[in-house]
Amino acid sequence: MTRAATAKLRVYPALAGLGLIGALALGRPELAALAAPFALLVGIGVLLAQPPELRMDAELDRERQLEDRHVALDLELVSGKRVDRLELLVRIPDGLATDEPNPRVIPLPAHTGQSLHVPIRCAHWGTYELGEVLWRVRDSFGLLVFEGSSGPRRRLKVYPSGETLERLLQPLETQVFSGNQVARHRGEGIEFADLRPFTTGDRVRRVNWRATARRGVPWVNEAHPERNTDVVLFLDTFAEARRGDTGTLDLGVRAAASFATHYLKEKDRVGLVSFGGILNWLTATSGTMQLYRIVDSLLDAEILLSYAWKDLDVIPTRTLPPRALVIALSPLLDERSVRSLLDLRGRGFDLAVIELSPFPFVDAGETEAERLAYRLWRLRRDALRSRYASLGVPIVEWSEGVPLEAMVEEVRAFRRHARVVRV
Amino acid sequence: MLGGLAVLVLALGLAARSGAVLGWGLAILGGEYAVLFAAQGRALDELTPVYAGAFLLVAELAFWSIERRVPAWSDPCLFERRLAHLAGVSAGAAVVAGLVLVVAAASGGGGVALEAIGVAAAIGTVALVAVLVRRTAT
Repeated sequence: MTRAATAKLRVYPALAGLGLIGALALGRPELAALAAPFALLVGIGVLLAQPPELRMDAELDRERQLEDRHVALDLELVSGKRVDRLELLVRIPDGLATDEPNPRVIPLPAHTGQSLHVPIRCAHWGTYELGEVLWRVRDSFGLLVFEGSSGPRRRLKVYPSGETLERLLQPLETQVFSGNQVARHRGEGIEFADLRPFTTGDRVRRVNWRATARRGVPWVNEAHPERNTDVVLFLDTFAEARRGDTGTLDLGVRAAASFATHYLKEKDRVGLVSFGGILNWLTATSGTMQLYRIVDSLLDAEILLSYAWKDLDVIPTRTLPPRALVIALSPLLDERSVRSLLDLRGRGFDLAVIELSPFPFVDAGETEAERLAYRLWRLRRDALRSRYASLGVPIVEWSEGVPLEAMVEEVRAFRRHARVVRV
Repeated sequence: MLGGLAVLVLALGLAARSGAVLGWGLAILGGEYAVLFAAQGRALDELTPVYAGAFLLVAELAFWSIERRVPAWSDPCLFERRLAHLAGVSAGAAVVAGLVLVVAAASGGGGVALEAIGVAAAIGTVALVAVLVRRTAT
């Protein structure tokens, strides 16, 4: 707690002094009468001024919440002395907001607890600490100000709001465990694949009686088995384009969280590689716990400036399982991530690149030279995109406001019409 | 003339939200009162307690005006309480000023000894207040 004098405490004694000296100099008691209340007010005010005895407790109604939803911060305040005007400022980190007035003033009776309910809107994903309250109390005459902060810190995790995806990207190859994806190969399953002549060992229930009757020899149905897939979300954290509260990293985190949620719902195994100044990874696993792990890891994702050259060799081998679908979320601004993605394709991974468009965050410039540089930059990015496409890598440009579903459909369309190149 | 200047400086202080400028405005306002007595030379002004109360009220209102605006939450009576407090302080100032005048009138003709006591009391008061302020503010 700190104690500070207000402007009044400097001005009033000066006025009292001037009045008393003036009274002596001019021999007028009226000036002393004018000065006396100021001197008395300061004397009494200073003698009576006592620091408040405040105790605060803070509780959050939940520790995790989705973006654009609310949490409630409940404050419990108790004071050992009566406080007429208690100014409270709930410290709200960037990314959170409250619609209530902040700071505000309340009276606080002595030894009587008062509860305050502060609704807080989770404006942006991230991990926050809430509960710190800055308070200020003036003494009865407004001469001294007591300030302090109290309240225990409570951790709040705000998860990125997910996008709705009706259909997911299907990997070219599935894994061996059962799941919801229809495998390309034939085996035991539900999805009809083809007909073939009966061979020894075929089960009678597989016999297609209509085809058998037509051909005179037994024929059986073949099916595609339902298998799970391995999906690796490759989040580029080398560089981002940002303007104000939004940037390409935000888009990437939202997309990654959406993909993780939907693939894990389909019983697939999902892993995460956060490739940047700091390398973070989660090996592919399935289940709800993995979803929490991924989202918690995404909350820690940040752009850290690094000049160290990094390539795929720094990523642990198990993080990129064979036959996995790698969904890269990258603004393609850093040469290291661009090269690494090409390297991934070169190693035969089934790769899809969702380019987090940096264009909404970049101005074309005002001078002719700036505009020329901007156009050249765009041409260079177009060339890079063509390079990926020529290698059979579907690449789509995603910007804020466009549904992720549309991007997924674009990738699906590319894969329908493009030949997969084995390099 | 001085009154107009005082009002101007006070207005400047309010506009600039500066306590120091407000202090100068109040000092000029008090100075105008002193000049008035020096010019008129009357024996004793019976309206001094009213002026003292009003003077303190002006000072309190001026400093209230430059406080940070913080919206009150749920207690609408905070404003009324503050007004009542101001009225009390102002009335108290009038009473104190009246008492000082009564004491001054009762002391009669004065003299060197009484004047010396007055000087010592004035210096002592200012010194005491200054010490209290210094001890409290640090």
